[in-house]
Amino acid sequence: MSFFADSFAAAIDLITSFDQALYEVVFNSVSISLIAAVIAGALAIPAGITMALNQFIGKRLIQHILNTLMAMPTVLIGLLLYGLLSRLGPLGHLELLYTPTAIIMAEAILIFPIMMNLAIAAVTAADPRLVPTLKSLGAKSTTLTIQVAKQTRFIMLAAIITGFGRAIGEVGAAMMVGGNIEGYTRTMTTAIALETSKGEFETGLALGLLLLAIAFLINFILSCLQQQK
Amino acid sequence: MTNAYQLDNIKVFYQQKCSLDLPQLSIPNQQCIALLGDNGAGKSTLLNLLAFLNRPSQGQIQLSGQAIESGLSPQQRRSIGYVNQQPFLLTGSVSSNIDLALKLQGIPSAERPSCIAKALERVNLDHLAKQTATTLSGGELKRAAIARAIAHDPAILLLDEPFSHLDQNHIQQLEAIIEQLAAQKDKTIIFSTHDRLQGAALADNTINLIKGKVTKSPLLNVFHGELSEHFFDTGNIKIHTTSQQQASHIAIDPHEIIISNGILSSSMRNQFTGRLTAISEEAGTIHLTIDCGERFYAIISPEALHELGLSIGKSVCLSFKSTAVSIF
Repeated sequence: MSFFADSFAAAIDLITSFDQALYEVVFNSVSISLIAAVIAGALAIPAGITMALNQFIGKRLIQHILNTLMAMPTVLIGLLLYGLLSRLGPLGHLELLYTPTAIIMAEAILIFPIMMNLAIAAVTAADPRLVPTLKSLGAKSTTLTIQVAKQTRFIMLAAIITGFGRAIGEVGAAMMVGGNIEGYTRTMTTAIALETSKGEFETGLALGLLLLAIAFLINFILSCLQQQK
Repeated sequence: MTNAYQLDNIKVFYQQKCSLDLPQLSIPNQQCIALLGDNGAGKSTLLNLLAFLNRPSQGQIQLSGQAIESGLSPQQRRSIGYVNQQPFLLTGSVSSNIDLALKLQGIPSAERPSCIAKALERVNLDHLAKQTATTLSGGELKRAAIARAIAHDPAILLLDEPFSHLDQNHIQQLEAIIEQLAAQKDKTIIFSTHDRLQGAALADNTINLIKGKVTKSPLLNVFHGELSEHFFDTGNIKIHTTSQQQASHIAIDPHEIIISNGILSSSMRNQFTGRLTAISEEAGTIHLTIDCGERFYAIISPEALHELGLSIGKSVCLSFKSTAVSIF
């Protein structure tokens, strides 16, 4: 018990003393996940709205694929991306393996189906008069998508935040394509795994607590957005 | 002059059931038209087709003489203003709603403030321009939606059940707005209502719909049942007709019904005795409701009311010819 209590106290000490190495990892992790969430959101939300607004052959199949991708193990995404980005892979010449860009790609791929499904759900759950009203006012394809996104903006923002939360907690793909390089591709989750394996439990715990604080913050923002809606 | 709309061989199927069947329907330009019919008659379905929000399962619609195949051009879209039965205003103020509609219609931003002011003035809502749309009352919401629909000055205005779920005060305000718009004679106004008298009073012409089909009958005294050997059986009474063809609906023009205090000796094949349940005055005529097993509406003059000494609860006799029965 004293081991855990001592480690906990040391972790709090690391957090409150604003340990530079610790906060570098936090900053790295937040910036990578934020970029991934914004990129995935910029693609998934228009795609989700477009899919929800249109009826076409294969829509059900795409919905099934999206649902499957939502449950895809992150290590599998890491493995596939590793294959694509490794020196012998088709995208090897881009030399992106073990860079923050590779982690951003992995996280964006991971959260894209989640965000797209949330965007589809947002349009489906919106007032059934919204789309006919916009159409009757003259909105067409692109303007319709933009206006629907505007009218459901709180849910869309919630989708981006949910994606960010999923991305920042991701470890498997970040480890495989990022390589956990200190000061470069090390994220909170890969650092927790590494520090724990090295026996630096208090550093891992400090990062874990900060991750928990971020998760709390995300949920708080989501709850505020729900109220705004 | 070309028609505002020309519909040919239109059919709309909903869940494998034909909900609208219009072999041919012309809607003239610059007239005020009331779409009359009960709930489920196809009024909203027809208005959605006229607004080009839905497509028919088959058939062709011409808008101002031009056949619409794939979709409306921006100019054609601009010629139609549509107000839903339960209008939906977007988040923001009343004026921002109208501003967005004008923006989507391609009206330059410099022209929009004057268009907004003019539209709000026409519906007497200028004092609520800055109010959040979601805080409007039912009547204000409908007027705001009408302002949004007419802000870009469309040639055609479609109003789906504009008077539904409103109190008498708001109904009168809306009627006055429609009358004002119709009086300018520069717009084709098509509104739907299930109140036949209100529709007939406001509109230049009416389109009567029953079960998805246009009928020439005035939709008063409409009965459902079965026809066999010149008698139409409603389940409560049998009405003599001149027709032998298959039919499940009949209608009797209320002007063709004769009211008397006793059975008349005449050639009229249909005579029923019933109880007078309602008397009302509408546009200088007296409207009677008589319960003879089925509820009949009859229209008489004030003089006839006085001469017959009619009062609610009194037993009266109503008579009409077999030829007065429309079958469809």
